[in-house]
Amino acid sequence: MIRTAFKSVFAHKVRLLLTGVAIVLGVSLVAGTFIFTDTINAQFDSLLGDIYEGTDVSVRSAGGDFSAATEPFPASVYDDVVAVDGVMAADGGVSSISAQVLDSDGNPIGGQGPPTLGFSWGDTPTLNPMQIKDGNGRPPAGPGEVTIDINSARNADLELGDMVTVVAFNGPEDFLLVGLTSFGDADSLLGATLISFELEEARNVFGYGDELTGIVVQAEAGVDAADLTAAISQVLPEGVEAVTGETEQNEQAAEISEGLSFLSIGLLAFAGVSIFVGGFIIQNTFRIIIAQRTRELALLRALGATGRQVRSMVIIEALIVGVVGSVVGIAFGFLLALGIRALMNAVGLGLTQSGMVLLPRTVVIGMAVGVILTVASSLLPARKASRIPPIAALREDASRTPRRSLRTRAIVGAAVTGTGVALLVIGLFLSVSNPLLYVALGAAIGFIGVSILAPLAARPLADIIGWPMPKLFGVSGQLAKENTKRQPRRTASTASALMVGVALVVFFSVFASSTKASVSETVFELFPADITFQSTNQTDPEVPAVISPGFAEDLATHEELEVVSAMQFGKALVGEDEKLIGAIDPATIDQVFALGASDGAVAALIEPDTVIVSTSYLDDNGHDVGDTLTIEYLTTGAVTTTIVGVFEANDFSDFYISTNTYVANFRYEGDAVIFANAAEGVSVDEAQEAVAPTVASYGNVKSQSKSDIVTEAETQIDQALLLFTGLLLFAVIIAILGITNTLTLSVYERTQEIGLLRAVGMTRRQVRRMVRWEAVIVATFGALLGVGIGIVLGWAVVRALSDEGLGAFSIPVSQVILALILAAVAGVFAAIWPARKAARMNILDAISFE
Amino acid sequence: MTTQTITDIAARMDNGVKTYGEGDAAVHALNGATAEFGRGRFTAIMGPSGSGKSTMLHCLAGLDTLTSGAAYIGDVDLATLKDKDLTLLRRERVGFIFQSFNLIPTLDAQENIVLPLTIAGEKPDTDWYSQIIEILGLSDRLDHLPAELSGGQQQRVAAARALVSRPAIIFADEPSGNLDSKSGAELLAFMRRAVKEFEQTIVMVTHDPNTAAYADRVIFLEDGVFVDEMHDPTPDAILDRLKRLGA
Repeated sequence: MIRTAFKSVFAHKVRLLLTGVAIVLGVSLVAGTFIFTDTINAQFDSLLGDIYEGTDVSVRSAGGDFSAATEPFPASVYDDVVAVDGVMAADGGVSSISAQVLDSDGNPIGGQGPPTLGFSWGDTPTLNPMQIKDGNGRPPAGPGEVTIDINSARNADLELGDMVTVVAFNGPEDFLLVGLTSFGDADSLLGATLISFELEEARNVFGYGDELTGIVVQAEAGVDAADLTAAISQVLPEGVEAVTGETEQNEQAAEISEGLSFLSIGLLAFAGVSIFVGGFIIQNTFRIIIAQRTRELALLRALGATGRQVRSMVIIEALIVGVVGSVVGIAFGFLLALGIRALMNAVGLGLTQSGMVLLPRTVVIGMAVGVILTVASSLLPARKASRIPPIAALREDASRTPRRSLRTRAIVGAAVTGTGVALLVIGLFLSVSNPLLYVALGAAIGFIGVSILAPLAARPLADIIGWPMPKLFGVSGQLAKENTKRQPRRTASTASALMVGVALVVFFSVFASSTKASVSETVFELFPADITFQSTNQTDPEVPAVISPGFAEDLATHEELEVVSAMQFGKALVGEDEKLIGAIDPATIDQVFALGASDGAVAALIEPDTVIVSTSYLDDNGHDVGDTLTIEYLTTGAVTTTIVGVFEANDFSDFYISTNTYVANFRYEGDAVIFANAAEGVSVDEAQEAVAPTVASYGNVKSQSKSDIVTEAETQIDQALLLFTGLLLFAVIIAILGITNTLTLSVYERTQEIGLLRAVGMTRRQVRRMVRWEAVIVATFGALLGVGIGIVLGWAVVRALSDEGLGAFSIPVSQVILALILAAVAGVFAAIWPARKAARMNILDAISFE
Repeated sequence: MTTQTITDIAARMDNGVKTYGEGDAAVHALNGATAEFGRGRFTAIMGPSGSGKSTMLHCLAGLDTLTSGAAYIGDVDLATLKDKDLTLLRRERVGFIFQSFNLIPTLDAQENIVLPLTIAGEKPDTDWYSQIIEILGLSDRLDHLPAELSGGQQQRVAAARALVSRPAIIFADEPSGNLDSKSGAELLAFMRRAVKEFEQTIVMVTHDPNTAAYADRVIFLEDGVFVDEMHDPTPDAILDRLKRLGA
């Protein structure tokens, strides 16, 4: 049987080719995701290895999870550390993520891409991962001097001896470029902009006093890093800790892996969609091939093969196709990973062109996905094949196995669809632990359910979609329409594959469109301020980056502005939990930001160590106004804080304190957001224009009107939509290949018929048209189902999220129509190959075809 | 040859050679066959298996091309036509009745009958159409799909289709080969009537003497060449002639 299976695979290689392509595409997405993230991980690992190569112990603020590693401690700690036995060398330094370098046009280097990292220059070469090679200048030696990494200097056209503008704690300042730094052999640290200053100057630029943010220590030969770490810990004050270099390296590696795992989970989700769609195609192909081979299989039965043997043969065929497809898929995944890397480099991430990493895990999972998908998809067709009676070998009409009754199909389909819908509803509207899993599973089962029901709709829908075709395209159009109605099951399952992709595209479009509609509502309600200023340097998604402290004062000097109100954010522990705390100016906030606070709450914040909390936090935690909360700040420790009021929950924070309380308890580096109103009689545009020079001088500040904010949000939503649509393209391509596949098989099956049509006078062009319009009907059918499901799914999700600011539901009509048109056009492309095949058919062969 | 004789000839083959394969494996299905088929005549082509009778029909009908020699429909040399023109010629001037698989399964009987006209984007001549339907007894079967028709009815639909565009010539390849004797006789009788009453030209390939006896004239092929012909044949005479051919 195995040999028969092998021979059969080769005999039907063209028919199986497209099935193979579906597997290749699905597997390549999976493998490509793994290869890419593994490669990046390896690259970061080796980079971290370089950075920590000489570091045995690292001394840092004990802020733990809830601080950026830039919380300072007294500089005197350095002397205590150096005095510990076993310390060979130690470098104390400061670092900051709030600095930015401007290029000659006044724009920040790196833009929205990789971050800018500022350091003090470490004098011990073994402890300093940055080097300055011969001919690249020298380290910064005093005030007014800066170094920058070679890659950033090159991108910004900076040369040794140039004056460079750095925006940090003191606003924009000019520095002399004295050195170009390398990173091991690399010119860049993954595209980040790295600047360094002499220690005292760095403290000045970053806004530190006589402080350090870290000390790196090299042990004497023979001294164990862990022992030394323990010894150093003994001399450290409270709030400062020592860890081994290895520990810190592992922490950072873990953080990077975690970040990457989000990326890989996202990519794998889309790979999953492709695989799901591939399953439809594979099952359909095997079913058609088996139908076409009925007589051959029946002959095997007549010659004594058991039903089980026939079934095994079909499954072995699937296994062969699955293995071959998976191997090719993994190879393509490799290319795909190269492509993703090139794309990431194009947006400025300096990923080196090192070798790609192919872990055994990637091969195992890739193979497993491809083989299991193919074999699982062949099970039902194989079962059908095993039930072919031997008599079918002798009788032409016996190949038609009795169809399952429509009633059974309707009942089964409705039950499956209902299960999917139920899971969706549970995931969306009930509070379960893992709602996304319910939603994904519900959607997948729902799709299968609809695909079971789809054959019931195939005939009427084909009639509707194909209605104008006989009138427009004569007999070709009529036959195209009739052909789609011939085997509703085949038409429906081919269309179902496209349905999945289109449904998800439409779902994302509906979601994006609804979000956009809600955004403008939210922005106009929440931000009464005419102009909002924010930093362009958003490196940490959790804590907003800051604008240099002097900026708000500079703004206030403009008489075109009336109210200038700054907001700050910082993380602190509230009870057990790390929370983002907002700080506002109680005197002006009401004019610029719709907090929805209770009466007198904002005014009460003027008292030190008071807080207002969101109503939802208050309710969830059983607090009342007048109670006290213990807030643990990094700088000042636990502070008993009185709740003086409540406000309606917003997306930013559950806690607001006054700016005065903030400055007393946080290290104030600058303002996260500054709101301002145009003065009486000054238009928003005029006010923006008036402050433009101030904004430009800081380089990293953007000034936005309300509609600017809406536009930016809309642009971001559109970009996300584009990205998702792009990732769904794989699934759509697989589905379109599925149409090609089905049509090729159908054309083969209708060889005699096409021969007859040609004999009685149908031209090749008419034959091509007939196949083309059939493809268009199938594609449109699938797209229509997809549009329907996508809109319903979008509506359900938007409704479920209505509490979280998604107030509006909006259907992007033009996009939906475009999707339908594109699907029809895709049908035209899908038909090219089968249509050619049909038109090229030799008439005589066709007529005498058996 | 005079102009008069050309117009009396509906189709002819002139020294037709058809070779399949190359070298030692080459098979000469036609090996210099020459034959004429008169207008308004019912001609049967007979011969043993492998004599080239089907190949001759296919080449005359423009379904296959000769290796050398010429095939004409009227005075059109088929070798000079490209696929498109050949298709148009078949559509406008040729009708077909095959042994099996004559009908498009998705179209009902009426749609199948007018198919060549529909393909050409033309409307049938209503009187002529009604007359054919009447004679073939298909009036109450017109809205049936092929799968709902008996074998005899299917072949009658095919015959109606062949006639509906009033082609210059109809080619039939074993038209009654798959039918029981009663249905076969009905079909052949109708074909004969089409020749007698409507001056239709029919060329039919068959291996059955009883079938061939419906024709006005039988030509005999052997090893790809024309060997003999017989006018106003009877089954016995044909059988007798075939026996001598076989020997």
